[in-house]
Amino acid sequence: MYSMLVTLQFSSDIPMAQFIINLNASMPTSQKFIIHILDNTHMFVQPHVAEMIRSAVADFRDANSYEKPT
Amino acid sequence: MGEFRILADFLDVLLSSHPLPVVLVGSGALPREPMPSNVTVRLPSLEELEAYAVGQWECFLLQLISSSQAEKTTNFSSSMMKVFQRGLLTQRILILSCGIVLYMCSDYRDKESPRLTESGFQFLLMDTNAQLWYIVREYITNSQDRGVSQADLISFLLELSFHVAGEAYNINTLSDPQRNMIKDFADLGLVKLQQGRKDSWFIPTKLATNLSVSLTESSSRKEVYWLIAFLAHTCMEAPLKAHDFLDCVLKYVGFVVVETNFRMYAYSTSKLHCEILRLFSRIEYQLPNLIVGAITKESLYNAFENGITAEQIISFLQQNAHPRVAERIPSVPENVCDQMRLWESDLNRVEMTLAYFYDEFPSRDIFEAACEYARERGSLLWEDSKRMRLSIKAEIHMNMREFLRAQNN
Repeated sequence: MYSMLVTLQFSSDIPMAQFIINLNASMPTSQKFIIHILDNTHMFVQPHVAEMIRSAVADFRDANSYEKPT
Repeated sequence: MGEFRILADFLDVLLSSHPLPVVLVGSGALPREPMPSNVTVRLPSLEELEAYAVGQWECFLLQLISSSQAEKTTNFSSSMMKVFQRGLLTQRILILSCGIVLYMCSDYRDKESPRLTESGFQFLLMDTNAQLWYIVREYITNSQDRGVSQADLISFLLELSFHVAGEAYNINTLSDPQRNMIKDFADLGLVKLQQGRKDSWFIPTKLATNLSVSLTESSSRKEVYWLIAFLAHTCMEAPLKAHDFLDCVLKYVGFVVVETNFRMYAYSTSKLHCEILRLFSRIEYQLPNLIVGAITKESLYNAFENGITAEQIISFLQQNAHPRVAERIPSVPENVCDQMRLWESDLNRVEMTLAYFYDEFPSRDIFEAACEYARERGSLLWEDSKRMRLSIKAEIHMNMREFLRAQNN
């Protein structure tokens, strides 16, 4: 009678949300993970992509930092 | 942890142990007198006692960080080490009391060095008094398992804090359980045990007598420093002795200078200080009396991964600020503090919560009821009234199912 779905609610600031939407768009269709976008800071994603999102965010953060050339 | 919070916790333990036939010591009514000085021939001077207390305490703490780096191996009694089995070190560490050999059971390979848990790291950054109280509290809570009455332990500790630091008291004035307690306290640096030809005695150190008084206010520390410096200058006839004395006292005084370029200079010879600084900064040079380091993004991320928060690091730096910079407001430069907080929040930009998504409600009433149910428990994450969909935190999923099943009947 009810349909239930296990999902992961994702909340962050707006730039980060855009980054994730972009990431989703760049994935092949079978691997798209965003279930529903709630507003510009919240969305539902597949539960199994938590680690993948975290590592993508970490890579983005590392790319953003300045390393003094040795 | 503010000192009042710690005192309140201690009183909690005191009041919750029952029955409590504590006879609090009134003024001057100690059950024992200091021993006559003709018997206690090798009584340590106050500064030697301080050095002993600090040395024991640091050795004890260094055990937490790494057993291989402690300079002297002492035979900490197994009851003392069991204090750390819960909470501070990873669970299930078996400690053999001969020569401090630490083995891990089951999860880890044998003889691997123990890992600190998150609260262990936070513990290292607390100031000495807070740490001491923490240990004492854990020790008291564990006393039940060892068959020692909590009330006895607490009243003995309170009694101890009214003794005079530096005076010798005969061990045979203690009862048997108190004698066991004294051995554990010696491991912590609260008392020093000595043996004469016929008698043995214990000497309370400043750590013990300060149990009832708190020395953490930075203003009183500063005054102590300047007073000692003045005294040292006046002891010109024995300059070496003054230097040693200063050295001991400086261990209770701040030692870290943080500059606006994120460099850190710590005037300390203590291995423990070096290890603590290594937790969150990159140590660059170690000189005989100075540790030079830098606070970097990588070193901070390391600390954050271990569960230390930026606030804890900042308050540690502020509490241990070198007297030269301690007068400045703020004692740690604002740009360094702000940057640490920014780096910390950068790690937490994204939040993910496991949720259950419900759709296709048979009627609006049931949908509204479900929303209310979730909202009451603070678990409603999102709802869409138009299309009757909602999402709740995964924790109340089972309760929600029960609720909906009840609604249908």
